[in-house]
Amino acid sequence: MILVQEADFDAAELLARLRRRTAGKAGACVTFTGYVRDYAEQVSSQSLFLEHYPGMCESEIEKVCEHAKARWNVLDYLVVHRVGELRLSEQIVFIAVACAHRGDAFQACAYIIDALKTRAPFWKRETLASGERFWVSQREEDVQRAAQWEHPGESGE
Amino acid sequence: MVNGAAIEVLYFAQVAEITRVRRETWPLPEPVPAAELLSRLESRHPGLAPVERLKIAINQSHANPDSLVKAGDEFAVFEPVTGG
Repeated sequence: MILVQEADFDAAELLARLRRRTAGKAGACVTFTGYVRDYAEQVSSQSLFLEHYPGMCESEIEKVCEHAKARWNVLDYLVVHRVGELRLSEQIVFIAVACAHRGDAFQACAYIIDALKTRAPFWKRETLASGERFWVSQREEDVQRAAQWEHPGESGE
Repeated sequence: MVNGAAIEVLYFAQVAEITRVRRETWPLPEPVPAAELLSRLESRHPGLAPVERLKIAINQSHANPDSLVKAGDEFAVFEPVTGG
């Protein structure tokens, strides 16, 4: 299940939903939750706005998840990504992966967030306490993390 | 999809702030590589230069400058993504 929405989410309820759907088969569920942080250094943030490309976001996240499903024997997954106006420390993204074994679940969840960050068309615009606005730049570290999954020898497998 | 040998060009985030529109319809009688459309984009909206850094999608899938764009396609232009 993939949801792109403005509303906040209940991570515990989402995990419970995944557990119900994989009861008796999943030996491990791994989850990742991302929160709004200060993207600017030395100045305090007021809020964050997340713009997205409706349709392409959902289809790119699905491609990423389906790739993970085939590569690590994922039984089921669930991804929720928020858009619109968000405040500091609010939840942005939730990923839950259910597998028979923990190794697969850890790898699949890490892959999904790394690939999502470089492939899903979302853009963050930060507003500082001063009222100044700027678009957040893509981090080179995120690009390198995503690229490591293309070369399994370097991704700890 | 667009009628009459044309494409829909979509802009997002920083790119849309520079173009000041989110969507344009461009005539496109013959298929062309995406790189050709990016150079037309730079002529139309010089504030976007250099366009080589921009990412593109054709019909909501990531594409390369070599990818062919044809009439009826949805062609999107944006900065590297920053979700998650």
